[in-house]
This record gives sequence, C-alpha cells and structure tokens, in this order.
Amino acid sequence: MSSITYLLSRLLQMIPTFILVMVIIFLLVRLLPGDPAIAMADAKATEAQLEALRQRLGLNEPLWTQFFYFVRNVLTGDLGQSILLKAPVATVILERLPVTVFLTLYAVLFSLLIAGPLAAIAALNKNQRADIIIRGLFQVGLSTPVFYIGLLLLTFLAAFLRWFPVGGYGQTFWQHMYHLLLPALTVALYTSAIIMRNLRSSIIEVIDAEYVQFARAKGLSEGLILRRHVLRNALVSTVTLLGLSIGNLMSGTLVTETVFAVPGVGRLMLDAIFARDYPLIQGLTLTFAVLVSLVFLLTDMIQSWLDPRLRPS
Amino acid sequence: MKNVLFAAVAALSVTAMTPAQAVERGGTLTFARYDDSTLIDPIYADRNPDIWMVSNLYDTLLRTEADGKTVVPGLASSYSLSSDGLELKMTLREGIRFSDGSDIEAQDVIFSLERARNPDLGPWAGLLGSIESVTANDRDITITLKNPDPTIILMLATFNTAIVSKDAFDTASGTTDQEKAQALSISAPVGSGPFVLKDHQRGASMNFVANRHYWRQGEDGQPLPYLDAIDFLVIPDDATRILKLQAGEVDAAEFIPFARVAELKADSNINMELFPSTRIIYSPINTREKTADGEDNILASKEARQALNYATNKEALIQLILHGAGKPMTSGLMASTTQLATGTEPLYKYDLEKAKALAAKAGIKPGTEISLTTLAGSADDAIIFTALQQMWSQIGIKLSVEQVDGATRGAKNRSGEFDIHTYGWVNDVNDPAQVAGWLGYYPTRKAVGTDWNNAEFNSLYEASNKETNLEKRAEQYAKMQTLYAEEAPLIFMYETPFAVALGNAVKGYVQTPLGSNEFSSTWIEQ
Repeated sequence: MSSITYLLSRLLQMIPTFILVMVIIFLLVRLLPGDPAIAMADAKATEAQLEALRQRLGLNEPLWTQFFYFVRNVLTGDLGQSILLKAPVATVILERLPVTVFLTLYAVLFSLLIAGPLAAIAALNKNQRADIIIRGLFQVGLSTPVFYIGLLLLTFLAAFLRWFPVGGYGQTFWQHMYHLLLPALTVALYTSAIIMRNLRSSIIEVIDAEYVQFARAKGLSEGLILRRHVLRNALVSTVTLLGLSIGNLMSGTLVTETVFAVPGVGRLMLDAIFARDYPLIQGLTLTFAVLVSLVFLLTDMIQSWLDPRLRPS
Repeated sequence: MKNVLFAAVAALSVTAMTPAQAVERGGTLTFARYDDSTLIDPIYADRNPDIWMVSNLYDTLLRTEADGKTVVPGLASSYSLSSDGLELKMTLREGIRFSDGSDIEAQDVIFSLERARNPDLGPWAGLLGSIESVTANDRDITITLKNPDPTIILMLATFNTAIVSKDAFDTASGTTDQEKAQALSISAPVGSGPFVLKDHQRGASMNFVANRHYWRQGEDGQPLPYLDAIDFLVIPDDATRILKLQAGEVDAAEFIPFARVAELKADSNINMELFPSTRIIYSPINTREKTADGEDNILASKEARQALNYATNKEALIQLILHGAGKPMTSGLMASTTQLATGTEPLYKYDLEKAKALAAKAGIKPGTEISLTTLAGSADDAIIFTALQQMWSQIGIKLSVEQVDGATRGAKNRSGEFDIHTYGWVNDVNDPAQVAGWLGYYPTRKAVGTDWNNAEFNSLYEASNKETNLEKRAEQYAKMQTLYAEEAPLIFMYETPFAVALGNAVKGYVQTPLGSNEFSSTWIEQ
C-alpha cells in the first residue's frame, strides 16, 4: 500500500468516528439538566416567555427532527447560531480556534525544548546528581496546579518586573508570541514533565540495546550514536505520548486561558456548557474531534517515519 | 449602620457631582471587565454585560440621575402625563443627532418603542405592556396607555426603550430584526448615546469612541463625553484583572472580589470604589406542603421559616463573605436603594432564643434534614453553606449540600425540586414593581419559585401597578414589605455594593445602583 492510499484510508476511517461523536454529543448535551431556554433567559423570564424561546430555538421539535437538522446543517457546513453569543457558531469558532492552536503549538515547542535536552542529560547520568535534580524539579512542576504556576509567573514576571504583559493576546504575530510566552511556558512546565520522564526511560532502555553497543563497537562518535540510534528509537513512544497530550492540551487549555485572559476555545467551551448553548457545544466538540483525529493521524505518520517497522505493508 | 451608609452615599455623590478640579478632556480609558458583551442592543440585551453597556451607546427619552431614582429629561426635552394617567406627551429635543450625523426624529422614537414593546422580539416587551399606541406630530410624541401605569415614566428612562435609528435598521443587511441588529453591531453601529462601538474582538476586547454628535453638555459647556475612547479588555479571572491594574496596564478593573477590597483600599495608587447597588443576596425557601419526593415539608410552616431566619447570623455572613463590605437586608422585598423601600432595621436580627422557640413551635425536631442547593465552584456559596450548617445546627437542623451549576439551579427553582437554594438579584428597572413581582407576586414566577401564594399580597401588588397616586402606592408597598418579611418565603441575607478599582487619574466614573457602567462624564487627569 502506498503512503497516499494509506493516508486516504485513514482519512476515510475518521468518518465513522465523526458520526459517532455527533450522535454522542447530541444526546449527551441534551441529558444535562436545565434546558437552554432557562439557562439563557435566566430566572427572570415567565413560563410564557420561556415557551416562546423554546419555540424559536426549535427545542420543542422531536429529538430525531432536531438531530436531522443538526446533521443536515453540519454536512452543509452550517454549525448553527450560538444562543449565548448571538452569532454563527462557525464564525465564533474560527475567530477563537487559531488562538488556542497558536497557544498549543507554542506550548509543545517549549515542552520539547525543555524536555529533550534535559531527558538526555538525565538519562546519560542515570541516578547521579544531575538526574536526581532534574527529576526532582519536574516532580514539582507536575504536582503544582497550572493556575498557581500561571499566577506566580504573572505576579513576578509581569506585574512586578513588568517584563511581560499581564495576560491578553495582542494583535500581530510578534505580539502573540510576546503575550502568549508566559501561558505557553505555564502549560509547557506540565507537559514537559510528562515527556521528560517518558523520554528519559526510553533513552535508558535503548542505550543498553545491542545495536547501540554494536554502533559503539564500530567506533561511531557518541554524538552520532545519540542522534541516529538512541534518540530516533527512543522517540517512538514519546511521539505517541506527545500526540495524546496535544489532544488533551487542545481541549484543556481552559484554566490557562482563563488565568491569562487568552480568548481561545477552552474558555468558550466552558461558557457554552454553563449557558447550555447546544449549537456551540456541538460545534466545538466536533471541531475538537476533527483536530484530535488529525493530530493522531500526524502522530502515526511521524512514528512510521521514525520506525519503518510500523509502516503499512 | 444606616447612617454610616447614608454618609457614604452622600460622600460618594458629592465626589461624583463636584470634582475638586476642572475636568480635562481627551485620552483613552482602558477598562478591565469580568465578561464580554455579546450584542449591545436596547431590546436584545439580556445579560448584565450587555444591559449595563446600553446607555453608553443609546440614549433614552428620559434619564435618571446617578442615584437611579430621579428622572430628568433626556432626548425628550419635556414630558407631561395627563390627569387620568392615560396619555403621556413628550417633546423631542431640537438639533439632536445620531452618531452618523443624521437627525433623531419622531419616526425613530416610534420605531424604537414599537420594537421595544413587540413581544415577538426581545425579552423586555412585558415591561411596556400598558402602551396602547405611540404617535407623533412633528416633534410632539404621544404615548397612549391602556390603563394608568405608575412605572411608565421610569420605563422611558430604562435601557430597553433607548432610541435606535430607523434608517440604519431599514438599510441593514439581514431579514429579521435580530439579524439586522447583529449586522449593525458588527459593521456600522449608529447610536444615540455618548459613545459608538468601533471594534469588537469577541471574548477579548471591545473599543468605544466618542460620539461627536452627542447632545448633552459637560461641566465645561462643551458636549460630552470627555473621553476620546474606551478600550475594554475581557479578563475573566479576578486575580489577573487586579494584577493588570496594579501593573498599570489598565485604568480600572470591575468586580473586585470582596476579599481583596481592603488590600486595594490600602494601595495609594488605587481608588477602591464601592458603588451602592440594588443587588440582594437571598435564598428562596420551598413553601410547598409536600417536597418533590412527596414527603411533608416542614418549611411550609411560617414559623419554621422565621426560625431559620432568626438563626442566621447575617453580620457574621457579611464578615465572612464580604469582609464587611455589605449590609443586612432591611426590606424583605428589595434592596434599600430601590424606590419605595421601607425598613431601617435589619430583618430577623440574629436571635437564637427566638429561633429556638419558633423552631419548637414549628415542630422542628433535632436532626431534621434540610438540603441547601448551591452553585458548584462558587467560593461564596461554599462559605454560606458551611456557615449556615453550623448556625442552623443550633436549632436542630441537619443541613446537607447539593452543588449544581447555574442552569440546573434555575431548572430546580422552576420545578420545585429544592428545599432552599442560594440566589441573587439586581434590579433592571428602578421601579420596585419588577423586583416585587419577581419575589412576591405569585402569577409572575410563583414568588421566585417558592410557591408562596398570598392573596392579600397579590391583590396589593395588582392594585399598586395601576395606582398613579404616589402616596397611595407607597402605602401599598409598605404593606407588601411588612407582609412579605413576616411570611419569610426567603432567607433574607444581605445587600452588596459594586466594587470597582480605579487608577487615581480616573475621575467621574459611576456604576449605577442598577449596575449600568456610566462613562459619559468620566475623564482622565493628565
């Protein structure tokens, strides 16, 4: 099978996933207690006003009719109108998705920059002082809540030293880089801790493998051995982990986005759930499903590039 | 306590009305908000972040002073109500313009009021239910009423009757009125208020610029507003919003948590304002004979509800939650800042002996289980629960907690599946009819979901809504308040101010008792 047909078949396999996601989210959202009319009109509305609102939102239609409209609209690219924001769901998501994607990629970049070298150092000095210090520091990173790290960074680096702005997103690319540096770092401190531990143990495993000893016996330089034989093999499981954490990060930047006032989709999702904004919740979930599936696909592609044994035969 | 508050209010209004130095014009104010606006349109504004901004973009025919009570002319230069109370005549001010420079005419007034009272459009149409027709002859507007309505004057000073441009709506893209309102808010908003919406990055920021055609004069004899522009930043996290102010990146931050008020008061760079509000925090009690599970409901007894109220130490709650920045409710039916509010003493002042006696009378046995429904994730509600659990254990109540989110709490309030739950209210209109209807009048919403149905109260309320004699209406309201406090369908808790922290250079900013953010007279010391 060529890699093109492999890619195509993987993309086709995503379709049932999306259908399943649509059905599940459609039903789950409606299982939440409290209907959107109540959430929307808050308490002040009378029963008659609520009824008029339900009518307008189509909430009185039978469930299957609502589902039919939902699927039909999704297929035509129409995600509906957000009840909360009184604007088209697709527009709202497109406005705010790039912010979260930017933040996520930025955080991943930081995580790799932090975790990669430190994992190598820790592994090469297994159980010695450097290893213990590095692992100890990451343990702190892993066990401190994200919002707390965020607030600490904001208080000292932004409000006190004034090196960075206190939250926000900025207008231009470089402003985004500047504004999102602290939030990305905050997220990275957590993610890099996970990646570092995984990469360290993989390296330790690989470094004693026979093919590495063979390479050493051939007289290859240590740097070359590390790059070509050790890291490449050790990275296979780390890439899987990274792929999984990107999926998590994407939908889980809520806390970081709130603390740093970053207008991304994480915060939007929370607002949407509290407001019982069915169209917006459905639209966001579908978007997350697409993104996570794409990230997983990308992860598989990278893995098969790293390890030829994983390539489709 | 009342005197202290009165002095605070008086001091505040003095500083707001007569600044120590001459006003300065120009500059951009940067304001950190807790939540973003969605659609700032007079009739579609249904969330506080929208409602509280309307007056900056759209002016009303009549206006209230910063106290929210005194009515003064607005876009209408004069008004008079006929002696039978069925005809309100107004004259539209000469030379007033929309932000695009076009004249504000009678057709705009008719269009705006027809829109506002159309029940198929926004949620506020019911407030204008007494209007029969709106007609105009040149600049003379006549509003004919179906029946006398004591609230009509204040309603014309309320956000939902603000004036929009008919021409702008006629030419806006979209088919329905709401689509047109959305299109206008994005492309080219045409307003009648002191500012114009220039840019809105949803969830992040919003930008207002001065409307150079605005009619109202400032203290220097020039048209308002003093500011050139306002940049709003949406910072939902309380701590970050405060840091942003402390770092000097914004000029003001709203919704300061009460736990931080003392600290910011001590900061010499910050002017910590506590604006009097109509916000009350209370807890509806389910008064149905049977609970949702079909068991006998002890809280159906008036004495049981009174016992709980006496056993609630409001001063302690105010210290624990508001760090002292609040006061116990003195009227059962409304905040003391509302028109026609009576009562000067805290309701059900903490008295354990009375509470015990009433509990015994009501047949509350030791170990009686009651559940308090609170908002999950709310720090205030968590404190309320812990405090009440401890306080009420003194009269034998075993209080358990049920944590839910806002929408679920709303649904339970409507279905009656609760014993007692936390709640709050801010008036949207300064006439007491809205809050009294909400809390006490059964047909509106089953007396805030308590199912308390009192014939005397209901008939007093109905009569007061048609009573144009102010004194008689005040008497009716006094009776309603006494009756309501006595019957205690609520745990009466406390009133809280609006806490806004301003940089020292910011002058003349007011958040009204209704919550509206008023920037028309705000200026920045250079």
